[in-house]
Amino acid sequence: MSTLTTGGTVGLGIRRLSASKEPDTSTKTYPELAILVDVSSCIGCKACEVACQQWHDTTPPLLTPEEVEKLGFVSYQSLPDLRHDLFMLMKFNEKDTEKGFVWFITKYQCMHCREPGCLIACPAPGAVIQYQNGVVDFDHSKCIGCKMCLVGCPFDVPRYDANNKPWKCNFCIDRVEAGLEPACAKTCPTNCLTFGLKEDMVEKGKKIVESLKKRGYENATLYDPPGVNGTGYIYVLPHGDHVKDYNLPENPRIDASIGLWKGPLKTIGSIAFWGTLLGVFLQLVLWGPIKVLGGKENKEEG
Amino acid sequence: MAVENTNVYEEQIERFSALDRVLHWTTALAFLYCLLSGIGIAYSKFHWLLTFLGGGEFARWLHPWAGVVFSIGAVLMIIKWARDMVITGEDVLFLMRIKAYISGRHEELPPAGKFNGGQKLYAWIVFISAIVFFLTGIVMWFQENFGIGLVRWSVVIHEISFIIAGAFTIIHIYMGTIGLPGSIWGMIGGKVSATWARFHHPRWYREVKGQ
Repeated sequence: MSTLTTGGTVGLGIRRLSASKEPDTSTKTYPELAILVDVSSCIGCKACEVACQQWHDTTPPLLTPEEVEKLGFVSYQSLPDLRHDLFMLMKFNEKDTEKGFVWFITKYQCMHCREPGCLIACPAPGAVIQYQNGVVDFDHSKCIGCKMCLVGCPFDVPRYDANNKPWKCNFCIDRVEAGLEPACAKTCPTNCLTFGLKEDMVEKGKKIVESLKKRGYENATLYDPPGVNGTGYIYVLPHGDHVKDYNLPENPRIDASIGLWKGPLKTIGSIAFWGTLLGVFLQLVLWGPIKVLGGKENKEEG
Repeated sequence: MAVENTNVYEEQIERFSALDRVLHWTTALAFLYCLLSGIGIAYSKFHWLLTFLGGGEFARWLHPWAGVVFSIGAVLMIIKWARDMVITGEDVLFLMRIKAYISGRHEELPPAGKFNGGQKLYAWIVFISAIVFFLTGIVMWFQENFGIGLVRWSVVIHEISFIIAGAFTIIHIYMGTIGLPGSIWGMIGGKVSATWARFHHPRWYREVKGQ
């Protein structure tokens, strides 16, 4: 069981920690926070991507034309995928649909699931933290580098560095803690990104969806996947029938295998190990060690 | 004189060669490290075990390497001992009457060869688990080279293997130490007493004696 080092009286309230008992959260309560990504008003400027790198002091590589050719990667995207030094990436996808040509844009980063697969799969006590505001963060000092967070993540987000530690969007928890909005939301020039209380963001998102429907986007939807109990980034998708084209999983949920080895298999394992220990102990005290000639001595018992 | 000698110096029979012993203990120590670090990683209540195994990060790093040693050792052992480990009808009978064995009613059991049914069963469990641990372990170790679905189910299979092999190893360690006095010397020094051999492994004793 891990100690609640990031809690304390002045810190953020903690909802839960990996591989630990659920802490008592009755002393401090924080409302859930979220960022609304209104894709319908995104112009694909990637300012959020730049702001993210600037705030976190990361310098992901710039691909040279030769490298782009080698990767076979042709896109408006900066890089093909998230990296340990690239916590968020604007993903772009072009496709002909029944509504004509569509430019699918997605802001891709850790979704801050309210039921985080990384936290549930992590075996190191306290290495994954979920704050009461819903933000999911990693504590590298407690991480053992087993990559189970990647196994548990339904969005394929954490990326490992050469020190064998995982990195991802931390919702600019340092800024949020100081009363500032996350860097991406701060910098967005079109108000595509709005930071606020989860319930307000859901309300705002629903309103945008309604207006989109009136304007002819009858499939517009608010992406707040219930399979992971909702997320910290919620998306207004104008083409809600093309979730996959936005590079988002249609119905993300923590894989059944994780529930299996975190739940029933742990119980079965405990029973098997303790049961076997009890069994050999009982053999020892009931019948004693299997000694030479032991059979004759115990004959009348059997 | 002869009488006096048998009292003081009991006849000793070689049970395991030097190579057998080195192979066994290398595999055993590697397995023990894997088992304890595995318990420390899988069960958060036993996370403290990792402290004694060099710390969480170190144990996570050594676990797969110890696993490689264990898997190679287990395969070499089964190759070397396969002929003695063939399970026969008598072994099945022995396993069905295991209660008679643990409660000391030896007259109900078929006479064992070099290994009894229980030992043979354990040998095959170790061998099969070594293969399973190795394959699923490689997938988890180098997960970026495999599909996420395969990695996820490898964790499940690794864990099932861990439960079965772990539980049987508890029995193996118990039987090798306090559960069956005298047997430990087969693996330490390699020689067991003739009385022990004749009682626990009569068919093997007769073979060794050329009867």
